[in-house]
Amino acid sequence: MLDNFFNPKTIAVIGASRTPGKVGHDILKNLTQYGYQGVLYPINPEAPEILGLKAYPSIMDVPGEIGLAIVVVPPKSVLEVIGQCGKKRIDSAVIITAGFKESGSEGTKLEDELVKKSKESGVRFIGPNCLGIIDSHSRINASFAKGMPSEGNIGFFSQSGALGIAVLDLAMSEDVGFSKFISMGNKADISDEEIMQALAEDENTKVIIGYIEGVRDGRKFVEIASQVSKKKPLVILKSGITSSGIKAASSHTGALSGRETSFDAAFKQSGVIRVQTVGELFNYALAFANQPLPQGPNIAIITNSGGPGILAADACDKLGLQLVPLHKEIVDQLRTFLPPFASFYNPVDILGDATAERYEKALYTVVQDDKVNGILVLLTPTAVVDVEGTAKAIANIAHLIDKPILTSFMGRKSVESGSKILMKYHVPNYNYPEHAVSSFSAMYKYNVWIKRPEKVYPHFEGLKNKVNDIFESVTEEKREHLRETEVYEMLNAYGFSQPRSLLARTSEESVAAAKGIGYPVVMKIVSPQVIHKSDIGGVKINVNTEKEVENAFFDITSRVKHVMPMAHINGVMIQEMISGGKEVIIGITRDAQFGHMIMFGFGGIYVEVLKDVSFRIVPLSKEDAHEMIRETKVFPLLRGVRGEAEADIEAIENSLLILSQMALDFPQIIEAEINPLLVKKRGEGVVAIDARFAIGGD
Amino acid sequence: MISLYVGSTSGYSGKSLVSMGVGLRLKKDGLRVGYFKPVGILPIKVENILTDKDAWFIYRVFELKDNIAEISPVVLTQELTVRAYLKDIRGLLRKIERSFQQLSQDKDIMIVGGSGSIYSWSVLGVSGLKVIKRLNAKVLLVVKYEGEFCVDYILQAKKDLGDHFIGVIFNKVTHEFRQSVDDYIVPFLKRRGIDVIGILPHDPLVGSITVEELNEMLGGKVLCCHDRLNNLVERFLIGAMQVDRATEYFKMTKNNAVIVGGDRADIQLSAIESGTECLVLTGELYPSELIISRAEQKNIPIIVIRDDTYTVAKKVERLSVRLRLRDKAKVAHGTELVMKNVNFPLLYKHLGINIS
Repeated sequence: MLDNFFNPKTIAVIGASRTPGKVGHDILKNLTQYGYQGVLYPINPEAPEILGLKAYPSIMDVPGEIGLAIVVVPPKSVLEVIGQCGKKRIDSAVIITAGFKESGSEGTKLEDELVKKSKESGVRFIGPNCLGIIDSHSRINASFAKGMPSEGNIGFFSQSGALGIAVLDLAMSEDVGFSKFISMGNKADISDEEIMQALAEDENTKVIIGYIEGVRDGRKFVEIASQVSKKKPLVILKSGITSSGIKAASSHTGALSGRETSFDAAFKQSGVIRVQTVGELFNYALAFANQPLPQGPNIAIITNSGGPGILAADACDKLGLQLVPLHKEIVDQLRTFLPPFASFYNPVDILGDATAERYEKALYTVVQDDKVNGILVLLTPTAVVDVEGTAKAIANIAHLIDKPILTSFMGRKSVESGSKILMKYHVPNYNYPEHAVSSFSAMYKYNVWIKRPEKVYPHFEGLKNKVNDIFESVTEEKREHLRETEVYEMLNAYGFSQPRSLLARTSEESVAAAKGIGYPVVMKIVSPQVIHKSDIGGVKINVNTEKEVENAFFDITSRVKHVMPMAHINGVMIQEMISGGKEVIIGITRDAQFGHMIMFGFGGIYVEVLKDVSFRIVPLSKEDAHEMIRETKVFPLLRGVRGEAEADIEAIENSLLILSQMALDFPQIIEAEINPLLVKKRGEGVVAIDARFAIGGD
Repeated sequence: MISLYVGSTSGYSGKSLVSMGVGLRLKKDGLRVGYFKPVGILPIKVENILTDKDAWFIYRVFELKDNIAEISPVVLTQELTVRAYLKDIRGLLRKIERSFQQLSQDKDIMIVGGSGSIYSWSVLGVSGLKVIKRLNAKVLLVVKYEGEFCVDYILQAKKDLGDHFIGVIFNKVTHEFRQSVDDYIVPFLKRRGIDVIGILPHDPLVGSITVEELNEMLGGKVLCCHDRLNNLVERFLIGAMQVDRATEYFKMTKNNAVIVGGDRADIQLSAIESGTECLVLTGELYPSELIISRAEQKNIPIIVIRDDTYTVAKKVERLSVRLRLRDKAKVAHGTELVMKNVNFPLLYKHLGINIS
């Protein structure tokens, strides 16, 4: 896939320039100086020769076939060039030229035309407005980055070319190799998803890292990312999550930056490892690229000082890793060579006078412990420590075993030489122990992700047909909400149990209804103008006698007359009162980028303040439903505290899955909420007490 | 005994205000004044007796001792409305008449408050016109002045009411309209035999609303300064501008409430610093602690509303046409406005009252 981009036999640089400092010159120069074995064709209508290569006035004049076109001409000429590429049967192009969508409405128009042109001509392209691409294995550097990263196994795509180049520069200083770097630019044609797929198939790439500001098609992203993440770790830095960030991102490459919650849900569901900083992106990439995955959460720490050991232990605790107690035999072995003041438990403190040999022996002993899934070696540069010797010793052992070893040689100046040795032998070294621990944690979580069974997506067939006509009439009448009775039918069709209810127009009818349903009852105003009934005092609960029903009827209807004199009152709903159980909220929302999402949260009056809600993108798998309930802070309350009975969590899961089905069946739902959903004891199910459905255009 | 029906050609024109002002003046002049509202539209129960909220309020302003059950004999509960549409209800006019007789026994003058317009509630057979004729009342029309077109309605009322009609009080007359009212409208009506008995200027305080009422009407939640819910709001501003312009903009109007999205902390702070009467946060977004504590320091109540800013603004717009006189300060100010701007000698002449 995308073979001609990364392994072309010939490359034409269209818009190559003789003037150093010009992009058209620097790219050609980069292509010439890092050992690319194919043929290069500079294209320039005026120059006969550039950088010692024969130049051609146009690609049409090039005698042979061309695999890849690098386009550096002014924006106005790009369309024509792409047309020529089509004629010349070039199917791949990298458009460096800026001045498209990112520059305003003229540019947007031009970009639209460019996309059309490329489709007609059969030319796929990366960009425009990008910094180019690099492949360290086929030795292509078709970018205007300074220098060339060494051969490696990190595949990197970035919406921001400049950020990408900064990361590459950092990598070069630390001898970190990359397999490929792709500056995505405006992503007008080739998308993040296609690049992710290409990198997933690329045998030189072991880990994929990416920087994105927004995605074009959220659903597609989730679909592809889920597939890719099963093959290779996919680490993504998504910016634009604060409102200031969103503003900056939207104007940066014209991408619509989505909501934080939706991206969060999308990443969780598709197994993307999300990072918050460039530093983390780099740190995780190092770990994944160089070390095997830990098969469990158990970490052992070997250190030559107490403080860093404790810091690392704290970090493990916070990030879900465990400092497993070492096996007795291992401890006994450690005792045979460590000084008596050493600490033989995890963290293993081999003291400040530790030599390279002591490090080597300790590490060799600890890796033998079956329970230990990974080892973190810490070193503080005391006067006696042999930095280089220790680094070599660690590298030797790391080479022999299939458990991950990460190191943190703290400090800089005196550990630099050791760090270089470690990196050379593929043992990532971090300046701070917390960074090593968070990288460990990412690896562990990724291992859990790839090990877990295929997701199960339950289907609830045939429910849709029962309520089709409701939605037809809603569309016909151009309404924005379902009526009370329609909501009832809808929930009923999808199998939600609901309190028995009857509409009463007068207090006499109310009394009769209450008698039929049985006391106590709940009474609610029914008016098309009143959407949030309790906000205006339109709900009375626990109504117990005939007299109370009459009074409640009067109070509720009068209340609405006072507060909303213009509202039309259809009557009062008399409803069976369900007591006991816990209140939760479940709902459907629609996100601009990812489509429908399912929401879960704890109910009650503090819900808005606590904001303890979780989201997942539709369709929901069983696992998603399971996780989203458990990730809220109040989940333990559902489990039951202080002798309370456990709530029917399985029934909530099922309800979430049904909502997901509803959203699939009726894409026109913009927002729906069952609030409260009353959760009874385990095995007794849930009851939808109240619900609303908002319907939109499509 | 004289009966004075205070009616209008449309709802929310200021009938209660005029009834209170005129009634209090009559009391001051030594008359025994009663109040009667034949058809109540705001049902409440007082000591478990059904009555109308406005009637009950004026009853207390006039310090009356009559049987509460009589002051508003027909109250339009949901119950009654539904029943009236389902089958004809008879006898309500007689019920009104009987209550009126009870109440008027020991009075020199009865002020009869209409609800809606003089044509409302014919569904129940108790339109203002019918009541006026049955009680043989003199009619004072309160007209909210919104332009010349209201003259047509006055002429029609005169035709329908005949000799019962004694004159008009214009209400909420803005500066812009005042000149033309004086120059054209008053002389024109005079030529048609209609006296303009008073012209009440538009008054921001009378048109104000307490934060508590506002919150109730909008279905919001109060986040802080519960002791300041009686703050009076006269104007509403929307905080949607750049923050550097906000403070000066808020400071240009007095006694305002600022409607702003719950996530616009910058604008919220500007509004608090400018000394607004109330911060109305929309979109059901809760402000940061910083905002709440600053508002508490400055004693500014914050309410949070579920609707978006535009919907809230729309609702507020509608609110202002149906404000009710409930607040003490507003009543005192409003009745003074009536006393000052109504031509009482002319009114008394029409009513045949002689104050020696």
